[in-house]
Amino acid sequence: MKTIKLNINDKDYSVEIDGSMKLVELLRDRLNLMGTKIGCGEGECGACTVIMDGETVASCLVLAFQADGSKIVTIEGVGGDTGDHPIQKAFIEKGAVQCGFCTPGMILSAKVLLDKISDPTEEEIREAISGNICRCTGYEKIVAAIQLAAHKINKGEDRYE
Amino acid sequence: MLSIKETYKASSENEALELLEKYGEQAKIIAGGTDIVIDLRNNKINPDVMIDISSIDEMRYIREKDGYVHLGAATTFTDVAYSPLLDENLNGFKKSARLVGSPLIRNRGTVGGNICHGSPAADIVPPLLALDAVVTIKSNRNTREEKLEDIFLGKGHVDLKPCEILTDIKFKKPIDNQLLGFSKLGFRNALAISRICISVYLDVDEDLIIKDIRVASGALGVNGMRERLVEDSVRGIKLNKDTVNLAAQKMVESVEDRLSGRSSLEYKGKAVRSLFIEAMKSAIGKTLS
Repeated sequence: MKTIKLNINDKDYSVEIDGSMKLVELLRDRLNLMGTKIGCGEGECGACTVIMDGETVASCLVLAFQADGSKIVTIEGVGGDTGDHPIQKAFIEKGAVQCGFCTPGMILSAKVLLDKISDPTEEEIREAISGNICRCTGYEKIVAAIQLAAHKINKGEDRYE
Repeated sequence: MLSIKETYKASSENEALELLEKYGEQAKIIAGGTDIVIDLRNNKINPDVMIDISSIDEMRYIREKDGYVHLGAATTFTDVAYSPLLDENLNGFKKSARLVGSPLIRNRGTVGGNICHGSPAADIVPPLLALDAVVTIKSNRNTREEKLEDIFLGKGHVDLKPCEILTDIKFKKPIDNQLLGFSKLGFRNALAISRICISVYLDVDEDLIIKDIRVASGALGVNGMRERLVEDSVRGIKLNKDTVNLAAQKMVESVEDRLSGRSSLEYKGKAVRSLFIEAMKSAIGKTLS
């Protein structure tokens, strides 16, 4: 056992972990942040996507000790008390959610994309979510939702912190 | 997953080397983890000690020095895919990085890890072989340079002692008409493991005579490898459609020889021709099309 310190959703944590623990297990089993899902467990499905130091990662492929000192954003850190994030609103408006299992990862991948490129092309959107597999929607509405979110953020019609 | 007793997040190359010296075979280096965490999960490896090098800034760089491009072992695929230093002569190299896995994998997976895991299908290996890359391997006591080609010892095996880390990869920066191409065949666009990948380095003069050519393949043998029969078949002659077809035929013959008796031959033997031609086109697109 060892103790690591990390910042998750703007809150500092000091947690005991064992060496084999993965980041996704730390988030879900220790910290009860259940929005991060476990799908394939081998980095293919993207359900476990979190933002680590500004980049999306598959949290099932990160050992918890590697995240010592890092800054993590999970879906619980997007929107929340201050109201839904524009991407979340756009997913609702466009009906981009069916079973919802891929949605946290999709939204986090979309967020990193829009943080970097405010007006992405459809191709850039599709590439950004290419590690997030959805078996319900066929992706069309997800892409449309991300386009809508980009539009609204750029037009200043929707703000977020 | 088995029990890992000690974990260290090294903050410098020296610290990582000292830890390796101390723990030797009990320890495993982890960087992006995109291969090794799966190996842990499948009980393929069972280390007592894990040493993380993914946060060592001095091992993550792409820089140019004395006509060579140097890459730190902990440089990620994303770093390669978006590096402004890797210009259009190196498009094939960037393309190989861009086609790995998905953004989630590319953000974590590293060039050093892709080499050291020893997978036959490692995407970044054929371009580096075609660039005749040289790697630096360090231990606490010794530093050695080896040709990348010479460190592959078979599927999953590279010539690294328990106390050693591959730290740097370098290759001569291609200029003028020295061009690198890459093509990959996977079962889908994203998240695809290479069924075949091919990289071609071409150096042509103004009369389009092939001064030098280096061809390397992935997933067509136990490791990524140079295709010397193909290279020898067209070195010194003029580059045109016939030359490309001649080389492609040599490529097919080499693969048919190598995969003889394997169930994948019928598919790969056919596919390799168009993959090779695509790699050539990807290299020469800039000057010849």
